[in-house]
Amino acid sequence: MDTAFKGEHLLPGHLGQFFTILAFGSALFAAISYYFATTNPVDTSWKRLGRLGAYINTIAVIGIGVCLYYIILNHLFEYYYAWEHSSRALPTHFIISSFWDGQEGSFWLWTFWQAVLGNILIWKAKSWETPVMAVVSLSQAILATMLIGVDIFGQRIGTSPFILLREAINLKEQAPVFATNPELYHNYLTYIKDGNGMNPLLQNYWMVIHPPTLFLGFASMVVPFAYAIAGLWQRRYKEWVHAAIPYALFAMMILGTGIIMGAFWAYESLSFGGFWAWDPVENASIIPWLILVGAVHVMIVYKNTGHSYITAAILVLMSFVLVLYASFLTRSGVLGETSVHSFTDAGMFWHLVADVVIFLVIAITLLAIRWKELPRTSKDEETYSREFWMFVGAVFLCLSCFHLVIVSSIPVWNAMFGTKLAPPSDPVKHYNIVQASFAVVVTLLTGFTQFLKYKKTDTTKFLISTVVYLALAVLITVPVIYFTGANKLNFVFILIMVGAIYSVLANGKVLVEVFKGKFKLAGSAVAHIGFGLIMIGALISAGTSKVISENTTGEQFSSDFAKSKNNPRENIILYKNMPVVMGKYTVTYVGDSIAPPNHYFKVNYKVIDANGKVTEEFLLKPNAQSNEKMGLISSPDTKHYLFSDLYTHVNMSNAITIGEGTEAAGHEEANDDKKYEAPLTYEVAPGDTIRFRDGYVLLSSIGRIDKVQDITLTDKDVAIGAKLQVVANGKTYAAEPVYMIRNNNAFDFARKVEDAGLKLRFTKVIPQKGKVEITLYQQPESAKKWIVMRAIQFPDINFLWSGTIIMVIGILLSIFRRNKELKNT
Amino acid sequence: MKKSSIFGLVVIAIAIAVIISVYSTSSTYGSFKDAKSTDTELHVVGHLNKQKQLYYDATKDANYFSFYMKDNKGEECKVIFTGSKPQDFERSEQIVLTGQMHGNEFHAKHILMKCPSKYKQDQVEVTETKAKQASI
Repeated sequence: MDTAFKGEHLLPGHLGQFFTILAFGSALFAAISYYFATTNPVDTSWKRLGRLGAYINTIAVIGIGVCLYYIILNHLFEYYYAWEHSSRALPTHFIISSFWDGQEGSFWLWTFWQAVLGNILIWKAKSWETPVMAVVSLSQAILATMLIGVDIFGQRIGTSPFILLREAINLKEQAPVFATNPELYHNYLTYIKDGNGMNPLLQNYWMVIHPPTLFLGFASMVVPFAYAIAGLWQRRYKEWVHAAIPYALFAMMILGTGIIMGAFWAYESLSFGGFWAWDPVENASIIPWLILVGAVHVMIVYKNTGHSYITAAILVLMSFVLVLYASFLTRSGVLGETSVHSFTDAGMFWHLVADVVIFLVIAITLLAIRWKELPRTSKDEETYSREFWMFVGAVFLCLSCFHLVIVSSIPVWNAMFGTKLAPPSDPVKHYNIVQASFAVVVTLLTGFTQFLKYKKTDTTKFLISTVVYLALAVLITVPVIYFTGANKLNFVFILIMVGAIYSVLANGKVLVEVFKGKFKLAGSAVAHIGFGLIMIGALISAGTSKVISENTTGEQFSSDFAKSKNNPRENIILYKNMPVVMGKYTVTYVGDSIAPPNHYFKVNYKVIDANGKVTEEFLLKPNAQSNEKMGLISSPDTKHYLFSDLYTHVNMSNAITIGEGTEAAGHEEANDDKKYEAPLTYEVAPGDTIRFRDGYVLLSSIGRIDKVQDITLTDKDVAIGAKLQVVANGKTYAAEPVYMIRNNNAFDFARKVEDAGLKLRFTKVIPQKGKVEITLYQQPESAKKWIVMRAIQFPDINFLWSGTIIMVIGILLSIFRRNKELKNT
Repeated sequence: MKKSSIFGLVVIAIAIAVIISVYSTSSTYGSFKDAKSTDTELHVVGHLNKQKQLYYDATKDANYFSFYMKDNKGEECKVIFTGSKPQDFERSEQIVLTGQMHGNEFHAKHILMKCPSKYKQDQVEVTETKAKQASI
């Protein structure tokens, strides 16, 4: 029964759906045309058809994007995607990013970038265009199938972003009234007021730029792959390597940037207290990158010496297959219990498997057919040659990648072999140790390979400079690790430190030569220095990060529990305005500021020197959103120094209530007193003080007042205010409770001093004694506002970020160099 | 022997070492019953017993959180976690604990909870519907 529903806008969806089919059809058409254009080079009409297909595909992909944007921007919640990922309250830049909040949108990003790269290839690739575009178009066609969402033989192929809400969700089941009342169901849209919105954790400016960068990285991996396939297919074994190097460098730069952006995002605004947690989803993005880095190095070896051809081909082919494998890992739901943030299964398991298998089979078949013809060298590389050690380095990158694949894929092995393995119980430690061992080798290689030349090197000269620089690196490492406290780390981490410093020194030497005129060496030298700094920064900050909020209070629940050192006690409770000393800081939770939907906890940090003078003071505002649908979601705030960061994260608080900001803060007076301990009354005269737990109250004067809140006073009314000074935790607050007589009835207006947890009433006037009665309500300890927070100090993390920027600059220089070489040949 | 063959052997040896190290450090999934009979840490999958009390009182100890979990075999056990209560814990649909047994309590080192609802909430809000219906 498909009746018309009131208020639905079906046109953008129909149009969008048409574009998804068109995108698939045109990409397939382009792939076939380019295939025949490659096999019949004489007949140029095939090539024209291929281009036509590619252009139509580009238009269709843009069309999908426009339709989806239209739907999201106009809040057309009849579409499931808009309802699921956006809401009216989202600011524009997050509406833009809600586009790629879901699986479909991220596939679109991927296919969009691939379309852009396709157009660049048509423009630039010249004689390579037909075979390379045949492969890229095939990849485009397969990506398009992910978005079609059409039923074929009872099996849904892909998921379309244009599915309607009522198709995706059984509204009648969700709201039984719809089932019983067809009239209401007909009007269902009037009840869908707002969308689900975006997970508050993702509402961050990084969400706007991290996914596009990452997916440009993934998308650009297809280009070197396509060149490798084209080279094998067309038997242009040598040339493809030259043409593919700049693209491979580009993919390496963009994907690397995307990965580090993700790390920075996690560090700045997610709550896992670090920049890298070895989550399978993170690993999935770094796996193809490592192989690609290896591939780039071996390609350069081949270009310069003719060695390692087969390794270069295999690594390039593998890097793209691993991109697909990574997308299978994160999107199929296979990771299940092992990852916090894998996408949920959208019923595309076998579809994603097929994607990996298709390209794997193409790569293996082509390699097998051409195996005997592939260029190889009969002679071994010289031991003292640059090419040999670059090759060794690439192999070690592959081993490091191999380890990541093995561990991240544990759920896959379980599914395949029916085993019940679980990831290591301390995964971070396991990854750190194993990966560090590989990193030691790789950093050392990036260092001493700089002293080697291609083909043959003067052994004595090489050995001397290697040893001299190594000694220098060790000499620098010793004070560095003692100064930073890294000397307490596992031995292998100290070795990385030596390796990384060595790498920076050796490449620094090359950089000096660059300034003397050898400009073409600049790229690799700068990139390697950047890499060395990344390792140094990662090592010091992760290795010597210190939880400064270690809790020494708290009840011991059982001695047994205290004895087992299962977790450091990292969380500490801070009562409002009660300073706590943590490390060198005196930390106070001073208050809140609420800017819906964010609730900021103001945490004051002070450094007080021996003389009691405040030498430094700053305020951090970790925030939390209390979202009705998703509960309390908090993100940290960080104080950045040049050589260390102070990270503060609030886990929990009683100062924030679910859904605050949505309703007016209307306190019910009747319940209000329950928040306080039993009241105490004091008879006081001006000048007297009243003591309470956190300080004292001074009655400074009593006086008649003319105005009480919004009540206009007449001549018959008597209103007296008691001017009080509340001194609590070293701060003074003013309060003036009022006593009023109107029509022979006595009223009083209480005043609260929230920061001191007090409520004060002026309850009686005792003229005969010349005193007044003040009633004091004190909040019990537990009702006082508190936050539970965690503070971590990350030293020297800026090496990591600056190293990344330096590395990107280095790769960029290399791209320019290789492009120039390509033009000159 | 050629240098490349030696190097190849070294690589294979390292690869095997990697597999062995992964295999030996990998943990296993088990039940609370398995946890009682072993000293090693293991992963227990189950779900929160929402009827029983979740205990977390930051004013007493900000690093003590206890709750009752039923493993996939239906066995229930008290779980203690040193840390604050994970946000939104009550809503979790599935919990994966890593840790070991101490007496009758399971001490979790790590809690991973899955709340599909957190990312994917297929609950349509039609709260207004009832009021409307009354007026018809």
